[in-house]
Amino acid sequence: MGPHGDGDIENVESESRRRPISTVVFVIAMQAEAQPLVNKFGLSETSDSPLGKGLPWVLYHGLHKDLRIYVVCPGKDAASGIARIDSVGTVPASLITFASIQALQPDILINAGTCGAFKVKGANIGDVFLVSDVVFHDRRIPIPMFDLYGVGLRQAFSTPNLLKELNLKIGRLSTGDSLDMSTQDESLIIANDATLKDMEGAAVAYVAELLKVPVIFLKAVTDLIDGDKPTAEEFLQNLAVVTSALEETATKVINFIHGKTLSDL
Amino acid sequence: MAANGDGFSNASMENLTCHVEKRPISTIVFIVAMQKEAQPLIERLRLVKDVNSPFPKEVAWVLFKGMYKDLNINIVCPGKDSALGVDSVCTVPASLVTYASIQALQPDLIINAGTAGGFKAKGASICDVYIVSSSAFHDRRIPVPVLDLYGVGMRKAFPTPNLIKELNLKVGRLSTGDSMDMSPHDKESITANDATVKDMEGAAVAYVADIFKVPTILIKGVTDIVDGNKPTSEEFLENLAAVTAQLDESITKVIDFISGKCLSDL
Repeated sequence: MGPHGDGDIENVESESRRRPISTVVFVIAMQAEAQPLVNKFGLSETSDSPLGKGLPWVLYHGLHKDLRIYVVCPGKDAASGIARIDSVGTVPASLITFASIQALQPDILINAGTCGAFKVKGANIGDVFLVSDVVFHDRRIPIPMFDLYGVGLRQAFSTPNLLKELNLKIGRLSTGDSLDMSTQDESLIIANDATLKDMEGAAVAYVAELLKVPVIFLKAVTDLIDGDKPTAEEFLQNLAVVTSALEETATKVINFIHGKTLSDL
Repeated sequence: MAANGDGFSNASMENLTCHVEKRPISTIVFIVAMQKEAQPLIERLRLVKDVNSPFPKEVAWVLFKGMYKDLNINIVCPGKDSALGVDSVCTVPASLVTYASIQALQPDLIINAGTAGGFKAKGASICDVYIVSSSAFHDRRIPVPVLDLYGVGMRKAFPTPNLIKELNLKVGRLSTGDSMDMSPHDKESITANDATVKDMEGAAVAYVADIFKVPTILIKGVTDIVDGNKPTSEEFLENLAAVTAQLDESITKVIDFISGKCLSDL
């Protein structure tokens, strides 16, 4: 995932990696996942639509010491009317990642949110994981090379010091557009040796790599995939407590990042 | 079209919409996942690759453009994956190029054209070209009230009754998913979607266009019979060239029909 192009572009990129990080953009799928962080840092909703007019996407911004923090959410689905459900899934996540990179030029992206996890891989409800790398489990294209493209394996930006300092668990994330898990999905998730399962990560990784922006993932476990309870039920039950744990870790990450360069992470 | 002097009342908004729909269509953007699918059309219309791409310099998205009769024709493809060299198929790249094209080119009409699987039980045959009545996803299963409907994301295409009648085109529902194969779960959802054709981008293009309220039509050429005997990828590769040629012919007729017309004439 190194820079392409001529020496000039390479120099600019490595130069920007030696400057302290100044702009962080959090990509968060659900309002409920974002709210504790927005409240903690006193972020305000932007009113002048830097991402574009007439969009359901929501952008919060604020300054923490000298770090510019943005939180971008896909917002509520217009067709869901008064039910006001969040636009979860890979398509809205990829759009807001693209639009916010274009408009805000972050030094680093952080995709934060909830996930399912395998207890057989050492996960517990409430754990907040850093992600090592990410794959899709629901893009099966059985043609040589297309199969790899469908899986879309990508590395998160490497942050060994952050990992050590915050003593975080780390694991591979598998992304798919379904909240449930078919037997097909399950075989692929297991074959890919994933610990975590979500609905956006690999799409955010795709866009970040396309536009050459470093990305890390913080995923908080709301449900155990290989546990007894049905996913949707367990997820809804644990959402509040887990999003609070997510905020705590995100806060530690922000404080760790402050004043550091990308290569310090 | 009565003049209405009282600002943004409901009546004047309706008049405004009618006004837009009564102006001849001038800019069309075709979203095509694989450049191969578009190549005959690019050549026939003598479209030229835009070297001053309106897209970010880092992406491999390609824009071909040119004038045809009075129409600004644009064909946008997501291009090759930089690591693996294959066409950037699936919903995520398609939605990104749709978004970026709407921002950069401000089309009056989006046309998602490409190949698809067809169900013979619903009357589809190889080389059929379908106009899509509505699109939906079959691989976004979220078993929570309201989120389930969101996942399916059923959307009607822009209605084109005159186009369908004049060109004698087949019409059917489209189901979209990120996989080329079809799992039992997919099959269940596709059946629930009552789909005649199955692809990997359509519903995502429709979703993005809907956010910006850009009228969208979807045209799909059948390369393989999903409920037939042959393995999908084999049949797809076998028929790709012939179907692409057929698509080119049909799309040319569609463009000729559209030329000089307003959205409401379609």
